Amino acid sequence: MKMLKCLAASVVVGCMALAGASAQEGLKDEIRQPTLDMLKGKKVVFVPMSMSFDLPEGWAAVMQKDAERRGYQLDIRDANWSTDTGTRAITQAITEKPDIIVVQNFDVTSYARTLKKAQDQGIKVVQVNMRSSYQTDAFVGADWHGIGEYAANRMLEVCGKDKGKSGKIAIVQGPATAAASVYQLNAITATLKDNPNIEIVSSQTGDWDQSKARGIAQTVIQQNPDLCGIIGFWDVMDAGTGAAIQESGKDIYLITSGGGNKTACQGVENGTFDEVISYDVPGQGRDLISTISILLQSDKDAGEEKFVLYTPNKIITKDSLGPESCWDLDVLKG
Amino acid sequence: MEAVTQLYYRYFPEKVLGEVLTKRWSDNFVPAFAALLVIGVFLVRDPAFFNLASLTETSRQLAEFSIVVVAMGIVLLAGGLDLSVGSVFALANITALICMNLLGWPVWATVCATLAIGALCGAVNGFLIGYLRIRAFLTTLVTLIIIRSIVDIILLHYAVQISAVFPDSELWYFIGEGTVLGFPVSFLVALVIIAAWHVCLTRARFGWHLSAVGGGRRSAYNAGLNVKRTVFLTYVWSGVLAATAGLFFAARLGSAGSDTGVGLEIAALTAAVLGGNSLGGGRGSVMKSILGAIVVLILTDSMVRVGISGGISSAILGGVLLLVVAIDVRWLKNRHKILNKVYVSPSYFRLPEMPETAAGSDSPYALNDRLRSVELIGKGEIEGPEDVIFDRADNLYCPNRHGDIVRFLAPDYRDWEIFAHIGGHPLGMAFDRDDNLNVCVGGMGLYRISPDRRVEKLTDETNRTFLSVIDDSRLKLADDLDIAPDGRIFFSEATIRYDMHDWAYDALESRGNGRLICYDPRDRSTRTILRDLQFPNGVCMAGDGQSFFFAETWGCRINRYWFDGPNKGRCETVVPNLPGYPDNINRASDGNFWVALVGMRSPALDLALRRPGLRKRMATRVARDEWLFPNINTGCVLKFSADGEVLESYWDLGGVNHPMVTSMREHKGHLYLGGLYNDRIGRLKLPDADPEWASQDFYWGRSNGGR
Repeated sequence: MKMLKCLAASVVVGCMALAGASAQEGLKDEIRQPTLDMLKGKKVVFVPMSMSFDLPEGWAAVMQKDAERRGYQLDIRDANWSTDTGTRAITQAITEKPDIIVVQNFDVTSYARTLKKAQDQGIKVVQVNMRSSYQTDAFVGADWHGIGEYAANRMLEVCGKDKGKSGKIAIVQGPATAAASVYQLNAITATLKDNPNIEIVSSQTGDWDQSKARGIAQTVIQQNPDLCGIIGFWDVMDAGTGAAIQESGKDIYLITSGGGNKTACQGVENGTFDEVISYDVPGQGRDLISTISILLQSDKDAGEEKFVLYTPNKIITKDSLGPESCWDLDVLKG
Repeated sequence: MEAVTQLYYRYFPEKVLGEVLTKRWSDNFVPAFAALLVIGVFLVRDPAFFNLASLTETSRQLAEFSIVVVAMGIVLLAGGLDLSVGSVFALANITALICMNLLGWPVWATVCATLAIGALCGAVNGFLIGYLRIRAFLTTLVTLIIIRSIVDIILLHYAVQISAVFPDSELWYFIGEGTVLGFPVSFLVALVIIAAWHVCLTRARFGWHLSAVGGGRRSAYNAGLNVKRTVFLTYVWSGVLAATAGLFFAARLGSAGSDTGVGLEIAALTAAVLGGNSLGGGRGSVMKSILGAIVVLILTDSMVRVGISGGISSAILGGVLLLVVAIDVRWLKNRHKILNKVYVSPSYFRLPEMPETAAGSDSPYALNDRLRSVELIGKGEIEGPEDVIFDRADNLYCPNRHGDIVRFLAPDYRDWEIFAHIGGHPLGMAFDRDDNLNVCVGGMGLYRISPDRRVEKLTDETNRTFLSVIDDSRLKLADDLDIAPDGRIFFSEATIRYDMHDWAYDALESRGNGRLICYDPRDRSTRTILRDLQFPNGVCMAGDGQSFFFAETWGCRINRYWFDGPNKGRCETVVPNLPGYPDNINRASDGNFWVALVGMRSPALDLALRRPGLRKRMATRVARDEWLFPNINTGCVLKFSADGEVLESYWDLGGVNHPMVTSMREHKGHLYLGGLYNDRIGRLKLPDADPEWASQDFYWGRSNGGR
């Protein structure tokens, strides 16, 4: 492949040179080659929670393509849903001294010390979507606080007592200490605090597990027949929540959030979800490769500069649903 | 060609293979091989894994994991199963974090509280399984779920608060991340735990009880063990160890994640079984657990590094488990067959040309019928009187195969009584200066019976040979003894490789498997003085206070060994080429010595001794009763002088009266004959002997202070 590309590039350059010779000379891009040289041969290790679901697969697809294009190496170390395995993967990676480690945290504490260790060793660390309480060189991902705020406000509009509804809502969280849960819950409670129109009747942890979420939703609906809305913290898990709602036959407004995979759009289309707040994985992927590119070009040491890129959210509802609303992994990979 | 064979069998340690297979640790070959294979494969694939920094990190994780696997191994060994280790691990993690992060307890209090929680969980399991006899699988499955639920409830309420705090304790971080001399703290603690449990399981009473209970609950109960308490304790220890691992996990990660310890029980079980711990109990060791832990950890770690995705790596682990279990099962099943094939390891041995024994020849061995007129004592009433001896009151003592010493009462030896019961199979006997009867007991060691019938063990072990594979410190077959004037007891141990009733195997090997041992009553010490003897048998003091004669049965020779004086340590052959296999040696009234030949050599067997390969094939392919055996149907008694000249022989051609002679004792003008497989004692009048001569009085003096 590389050979071919080089060949193609040289042919193009040759043609251009010929064309240039016949026409004007033009200006050479002076920083292109140095930039490409900076990226070439670098090593990036990606430690996702698991390679078995849409978000990491999407990011990995985008990064992989970029890595091939720019000539850096991307290693994926699957934590396989285990904090311990993930920690092992990161500590192992540290001993290999890559240039960048990209991690998706399980929760806000577990990796914190390990990530600090990585930075101390001069390895730049990018956290994606799920933050740790320890801020590293970069964070790329959803603005959980903003998502929580939005969802809470929507609930006020849809379920508020002042709108003639019961005002009862439930929350299906991820694991209690996951960034998505911690920051979102904080935003929701802050928004709804002291608001007499809404009452949170249940807030439980579904641990990103579809069947667990389904069980929680079933129980909550039974206990609160007049439940008006549910805020779920992840669309894949909330497929279970939605199923429980459909089983109950009640009209319960379900807002969830996710990477905007095509299943999310299907869910909105068939009524499983009423609203999906999408943090747009292809967009996050783009942010990721930009961040990688920036960090590789930067001559600052690890931990010297810290920045955050929050993904702009897309709201997917039946009304806003369009062919470009969601993404497809196969297309992303291709 | 024969010289080559001779060299091969002298220097090639063929017998070691069989001896290794008898060891319990030889079970570890399969898991050890698996461990090496895994390490080797990843060493080639991914050399960076084995750099120092990486190994330090790996050892930290190995420490936690192997502690859990050891816990699982202990429970498995006692015949149980503990599926709750993963949940206990998680509960310990969360307990430690609450104590440190929320309650702000000092580290020591946190450690105590966490271990106490672990012990409590274990105690619940132990009580249900040990005392209420509920099935281990179901019980621990239920506690797995219950404890996990408790953890989930705690997490729901406290996880966020725990995550918000970083405890202010250097010691805490030291436990989690510190190193001592380059080794992680947890690794060193794990080493201590592993060493302690290794000693406990192999050397301590509790460990033996565990194996016994796991091997057979009913037998353990019948043997008087407290089965319930033992089972109970295994679960308590399992809980404590799992909690220890959880504590290190907490200190290392400070993670209040809900995935802590999920699936740990399966990983630990995989590792324990992969290491060779039997799921059925009774067979297992700490080393097995550690080997299994290493394999599983390196496999999972390496697969993460190589980038194999989660699902596939689980499948690979499962496949490896299946494969190793299959190999292990086959190994276990066939180990005894292999052992039977390879343990018997004949060696090369060439005997000199057999001396003349024809009747009428002028050879001292010439056949005659002098034993035909033997009178019989106790015919049909005793079994297996290997030796005979007399006390000062002329009473006759002999052992039997039930482990008794039988006393025939003087003067007519018609009435008898059981003088004492020892057990085992008593063989050679000798009175000491104080009229205690010292006895070599096959399978037990050296014992002493006082005149008032008190049985006392003198020794049953000697110093172990350096680098010996089989543990030769225990006495397997103490055979015959004699006592030096200073009270030291010199005795022979015929073979260290076989039990008494497998003496035929030892004959087949004709290697020097036996030894001479000295027991010194002054400091109660036992030590081996001469090794690699061919079935050393009879021992008899030469009378100079410095040396004794001893017979090497399969070597067909009599040697003299100096234990004192100017020749101390010297051993020389005095009668090199006997026509048969010498057994016990005793003093004669005329200053010479009696020796019994238990059987006669045959040309076929003599030839076979030069063909070890033939005997090896014979041992593995032919039923034992079809083998070429030493001929023990015919025997005789010889008299030889102190300088090794054979003077005369006593034969019984018919073999009707006294078919087998293993020992003889001259007493007051008569010669008394014992035989290992006989049901009688023979008595022969010696016309030329001193009718007042008694061995006891002759050797120790007529009157002694003791009586």
